[in-house]
Amino acid sequence: MTESITWGYAINQWNVRLNVFVRREAHERAFKTLSALGFRTIELAAGSGRWDNLGRPELIELGHGSIEGFMRFLNSCGIDRVASMFWDPGRPGEEEGWAFLGTQRRDDHDAILAAATPFLDFLPQVGADRLVVRPVGSAWMTGPLDGEAFAAVGDLWNRVGERSLESGVRTVLHLDCLSAIHSLDDISALLAATDPALVGLAVDTAELTIAGIDPVEFYRAHHDRVRHVHLKNTLFTDSGAQYLQPGAETAMLNGGDDRGIERWFYELGVEGGLVDVPAFMAALDQFDYSGAVIVESDHGSNPADLAMLNSWYVQRRLGVDLRSTVPPR
Amino acid sequence: MTWQKWSYMDHWVLDTPQGGQNPYFNRRYLEQYIRQLAALGFRGFDTFFFYLPMAAQLFGSVKKFEEFLQDEGFDKITGIFSAYPNATKFTAPHVRSTHDRIFADSERIVEMVDGLAVENLIVMPTNTYFQVAPITDEKIKITADLWNRVGEMSISHGLKLSCHFEFWGGIRTPEELALFFEYTDPRYVFYFCDTAQHTIAGVDPLELFRTYRERCSGFHFKDTHTIDRDEAYRTPPDAELMAPNVSRWFHEMGTPEGLVDFPSLMKEIVSSGFDGWLTVEHDQAEVGGNNYAEATSVAKWYIDNVLEKVEADR
Repeated sequence: MTESITWGYAINQWNVRLNVFVRREAHERAFKTLSALGFRTIELAAGSGRWDNLGRPELIELGHGSIEGFMRFLNSCGIDRVASMFWDPGRPGEEEGWAFLGTQRRDDHDAILAAATPFLDFLPQVGADRLVVRPVGSAWMTGPLDGEAFAAVGDLWNRVGERSLESGVRTVLHLDCLSAIHSLDDISALLAATDPALVGLAVDTAELTIAGIDPVEFYRAHHDRVRHVHLKNTLFTDSGAQYLQPGAETAMLNGGDDRGIERWFYELGVEGGLVDVPAFMAALDQFDYSGAVIVESDHGSNPADLAMLNSWYVQRRLGVDLRSTVPPR
Repeated sequence: MTWQKWSYMDHWVLDTPQGGQNPYFNRRYLEQYIRQLAALGFRGFDTFFFYLPMAAQLFGSVKKFEEFLQDEGFDKITGIFSAYPNATKFTAPHVRSTHDRIFADSERIVEMVDGLAVENLIVMPTNTYFQVAPITDEKIKITADLWNRVGEMSISHGLKLSCHFEFWGGIRTPEELALFFEYTDPRYVFYFCDTAQHTIAGVDPLELFRTYRERCSGFHFKDTHTIDRDEAYRTPPDAELMAPNVSRWFHEMGTPEGLVDFPSLMKEIVSSGFDGWLTVEHDQAEVGGNNYAEATSVAKWYIDNVLEKVEADR
C-alpha cells in the first residue's frame, strides 16, 4: 500500500439535516470519534447559513473567533488538519443571494469564481490543498450538454483552477451519479476542455460505480489527472436512466421511484459491495498515487457506526495501520 | 510504552430492521460489533453470562466465538458478568437458603468457559438495597460466605470471583465494603472497581483501589455526572432507570461534566504495578438519543489522548 496516502474522512454524514450538527459538542464528538479511529484529517463540505457553521469560512470564524481558533479546536480533538473541502456551486446559498448558478452558463462564471474565492483563501489556513467541486449540475436539470456547454464548463474550471493554485490549492472535479457529465465520453470531453496543469479529477468509487463506470478501470485510464479520492461502496447501479428522472435526488437517491432504493452508499466492506476496494487501492499503488483518500459514509445510517466499520476495513482488510500513525501528544 | 490491556464490556445496541437490538441479533450484527470494537484497538472482551449461549449458537461454540475475536485482533474473552439485582426466593445472597442455587448457577457459568483463559467471573454480590435493608453484619457475613464458596469453585477453574458493587446495592458504603472484605477470603474473593458506581455512591474509587489494591482484579472505567445525594439508591424497584431526578447515571469517559478523576486513578494503577485488564463500560449510552458507537469512540479517544499521557509520566 502506498505510503504517500493521507487517510481522511468526510464529515458530511454527520450533517444530515438542518439542525443536527450545529453545537460545538456535536462537532467535538464527531472529530474525536474519527481521531480515535485513526482518521486525523477531514473533508469539510460547503454549506449555507447559521446552522451550517462548518460550511463557510466566515461562519467558522464567527464560531471559533478566528481560523486559528478553529485549528486549535480541531487539534484539541486529535484532528491534525483539514484535507479538503467539497463545494457545489450549483447549490444555492443565502450568501450568494440564493442565485441558481450554472457552470455551463458563461454569464454565471464571474459569480462562481467570486463565490469560490473565500474557500480558496480559507483552505490553506487549515492545511487543506484540495477544493473538490461538482463540475456541473444534475443531468435532469441541465439537459444534454452540447459542445459549447462543455467548453464553457472547462473554461470556468480552468479559471477557478488557476485562481486556486495561487492559494496553493488544487481544484479537482468530483463526478457523481446524477451529473450531467455522466458517460465516459462526457468525461473525456470534460478532460479535454480543462487544462491538466490547472484542474484535476476526484474519483468517487461509489458514484462512478452507480453511474456504470468501473472506478478501477477509470483510475487506470486517467491516473495522470486524478488528484483526489472519495472511497465508499455501493450495492446498486443505475438501471440506465434513473438519473434522468425529474427530481432524481429524491426519485432515485431517496427511493421515490419504482426501484425504491432508499440508500445507495455503503461502508467499504459491505456484503455484496460492487466496488472492488482492494483492486482500487492496488491501482492507486500501481501508479504511485500521492494525496488524500477520503473515506465517506454518505447518506448511510449512524455516522459513528459507519466510521468504525470503515476504519475496521481499512485496518483489517487493507492492512493500513491507521491507529499507529497517531503521533504522540 | 502504552497500556495494552484495554477490554470492552458488552452493552451495545445496534440498529436493526426490528429496532434497536443487542448485537447477538444475528451473526452478522455480532461480527459487525466486534469489528467496530477492533477498529478502536480493544484487545479484551467482557460479556454477560447470558450472552454465552447466544454466542455459542451463532458461532458453534464459545471457543469458536473467541477464535473469531482473535481473528479480529482481540486476545481473548476476559471477563464474564453475572448478577442477581432482584431478590427472589431462589436467589438472594443474604439468604442462606438460596446459596446452593446461586452456587450451581455460577458453576454452570464457569463451565461454559472451561478451556478458555477468561480471567474474571464478575458478580454483583448483593441484590438491590431496598430488598436487603436493613444492612446488618449478619447479612454481610452470610453474603460473604456465599461468595467464598463460589470463589473457591471459580478459582479452581481459573477465574477470579470479582465483586462489583452497585450504588444501589446492599453493600455500598466504605464500612460495608470493609466488613465484606474482612469476611471474605482473599484467596477466593476479589475486588472489581466500577468507577462510576462508587462515585455515585459518594465513595472515591481511587481510595478504594488504594485500600483493596491487593485484591483488585479489574475495573469498569465509566463516568458519572451525578452523586446520589437524595438517597435515590433506595428507589424501588430500581434505582438505575427509575430514580425520580436522574434519567442517566452513567456516561462515557471524556465528557466535561464527568466526576471521576481518571488521570489520577490511571497514575495510581500504573504506579501500583497492577497488571490486569482495564475494561471500558457504557451502560445507558443510548439514553437521550446518544449511541454506543460514538460513546465508545469518544471514550477510546480519551484513553489515547489523555490516559496514555498519564502513562507516559511513569
